[in-house]
Amino acid sequence: MKRFAVLITIVFVLSLLVVPLVMAQGKPAPAKEPAKAPAKAAAKPALSKEPIKIGAIYDFAGPCYMYSETGMLGLRIAVEEINAKGGILGRKIDVVVRDTEAKVDVAVREVKDLLLREKVNFLIGPCSSGTGLAMQVVHTEYKTIRISAIANTEAQTVDKFSPYFFQVVPNTYMEATAATRYLNKKVPAAKKFCTINPDYEFGRRQAAAFEEEIKRLVPDAEILYHAWPKFGERDYTAFITAIMAKKPDAVHSSLFGGDLVAFTKQAAPYGFFEKTPFIALYDLPVLIALGPDAPEGTFGFARGDFFQDPNPKMMEFVDKFKKARGAYPDAWAVQNYDAVYLLKAGIEKAKTIETEAVIKALEGLSLDSLRGNFTIRPLDHMGSVPCYQGTIATDPKYPFKVWKDITRVPGEQVLRPEASVREIWKKTGVTR
Amino acid sequence: MSFDVLFNQFMSGIARAALLFLVASGLSLTFGVLRVLNFAHGSLYMLGAFITYTIWKTILIPVVGFYVATFLASLVMGGIGIIIEFFLLRRLYARGWPEQLLATYAIVLIITDIVKWGWGGEFLSIPRPIPFKGAVSLFGFPFPSYNFFVILLGLIVVIFLWWLVYKTRLGDIIRAAAHDREMVSALGIPIPWLFTWIFVLGSIIAGLSGAVTAPFGSIALGMDIEIIVECFAVVVIGGMGSLPGTLLGSLIVGLVYAFGIMFKPELALAFIFMVMAAVLIIRPWGIFGRPER
Repeated sequence: MKRFAVLITIVFVLSLLVVPLVMAQGKPAPAKEPAKAPAKAAAKPALSKEPIKIGAIYDFAGPCYMYSETGMLGLRIAVEEINAKGGILGRKIDVVVRDTEAKVDVAVREVKDLLLREKVNFLIGPCSSGTGLAMQVVHTEYKTIRISAIANTEAQTVDKFSPYFFQVVPNTYMEATAATRYLNKKVPAAKKFCTINPDYEFGRRQAAAFEEEIKRLVPDAEILYHAWPKFGERDYTAFITAIMAKKPDAVHSSLFGGDLVAFTKQAAPYGFFEKTPFIALYDLPVLIALGPDAPEGTFGFARGDFFQDPNPKMMEFVDKFKKARGAYPDAWAVQNYDAVYLLKAGIEKAKTIETEAVIKALEGLSLDSLRGNFTIRPLDHMGSVPCYQGTIATDPKYPFKVWKDITRVPGEQVLRPEASVREIWKKTGVTR
Repeated sequence: MSFDVLFNQFMSGIARAALLFLVASGLSLTFGVLRVLNFAHGSLYMLGAFITYTIWKTILIPVVGFYVATFLASLVMGGIGIIIEFFLLRRLYARGWPEQLLATYAIVLIITDIVKWGWGGEFLSIPRPIPFKGAVSLFGFPFPSYNFFVILLGLIVVIFLWWLVYKTRLGDIIRAAAHDREMVSALGIPIPWLFTWIFVLGSIIAGLSGAVTAPFGSIALGMDIEIIVECFAVVVIGGMGSLPGTLLGSLIVGLVYAFGIMFKPELALAFIFMVMAAVLIIRPWGIFGRPER
């Protein structure tokens, strides 16, 4: 039913897009077009000096709370910087923050409120793939652009593609594909695998992408066991013993945050990390929380914590972030910073904040970001953002463990091929 | 499937059961005597974990720091228990279930916001204390020694509660009060204070269980709701307010989950609630419970 509703919405919106084209060709528009979506953004005069409003919608609850917090900090640093230099097109940026409480219904309500009452021009957020998918329906209906800087389910750009959505985070497919290649490079002889992933949209997609890629790399690969702990599980003991009983050559995981901290501490006494090559989302917050318990020699993947891409631009951002927070920036801050600058580049190229013009400007746009250069693919609005992998190690420079043998995989190498995207679109009914 | 593999999975289940029992016993105790379904019990457990972390981080005593922090945090939670009972619960005993649930749910929200405000959303972690850092060998397979510590603590709490409820004069009063509070009151026993102390004991157990999970996993927002759902399954299966019931319920939930994970991981969580549903159909008051009067 929900999928049907999304489909209908997308069809409506796309059909609305068709109208001007048809008109331009001098033919009358078909009368069946329902005037469903209010064209709010278009009503704003482009010349006005009133501020550009960005609605930042995040999940300030549960496991997403921390990501949302540091993400907002990255976003604010970017906005302050831009405002100090005169804003975008001479207009200041205003940020309105909203909380989804990590609930789908609240997310829908808050996004509607941002669009209708606050009349924001653009949206950035959220953290959870669940709330992200829910709000996609709404802002698509109201023809407002959203950029995701944390939530990364591939469904946002592929299965449920919306022309009003842009992605600056490697999606689940890219992330798992790149991580699988790193694992394969490190343990080329591994043939038998287990996986352990949080049991929801994000984890399911990671596991599927891993399975797809490992079978491509190792044709006789065998997946012995998929473990599905619930998101927020505290006790992994039974999962760990079940995995170890299968004696896999390597284990793939997309556990993250507090879940990964708990898993790591519970697996260590079993000698899990000595026996089994393991890759999971060992990013900066997890490494900090684990402290000395972070297992050296175990593999991690992440989305651009400061130490993974120490380019000059990133190091400059590290200083700014440290001044604001007294801590090192993680990928969540980095991605939000990049999201604001992507928006700025898009608006400046379009020379207006009018939605359709900004969409056109963003398609194919290249941004010199904190994570190096990336381009928005016109096909599905997916940024060719890099994925990072490494091996956990000690570095005397930092009071926490970081990575060595760091690989930076440019997005172009792991983007889902165009033909494959179109294949999925055929099934989900996206026409583009 | 070889014996050692099954035995290991069994031990994983026992470890989980011990943890569940620690939390659920406090919940069951308050319900058994006070007849209040304390939805906020999981929140007290979460708060206990955060407070343990802060004390541990502040005192920084090597080796015994964690144990001292656990002890102090349990005391603090007892104090918080007094406040909650005195200012809120005490006014609710005579009211209906909906009001009690709403009020304790309010505590859930309040504690969540206190934690957000006081500790932020970061997930925190305490390393395992000495001498429970490593593993011991069980039939040639490693078993984390901290899990033994948790099981041991679970056993101590079982024995302590059993002794308190069945072997002391206070226990006689508690059981009598659970049965007929008007009669006990008529005998000149100050019921309000008895209730306060029971709730304090429940809060201490919540704090203690929160503290021991801190080195076990991570300390993070959301751990309250995660545990309370499973605890409800435990007490519904075992019987609300029954100590042996809680023990049996914990064992069932822990073991069903552990073997579910091994044989049918997609349905592991569902199995628990299938058992719960079956118990509700056959014995709505739980295996060891008694029907509501």
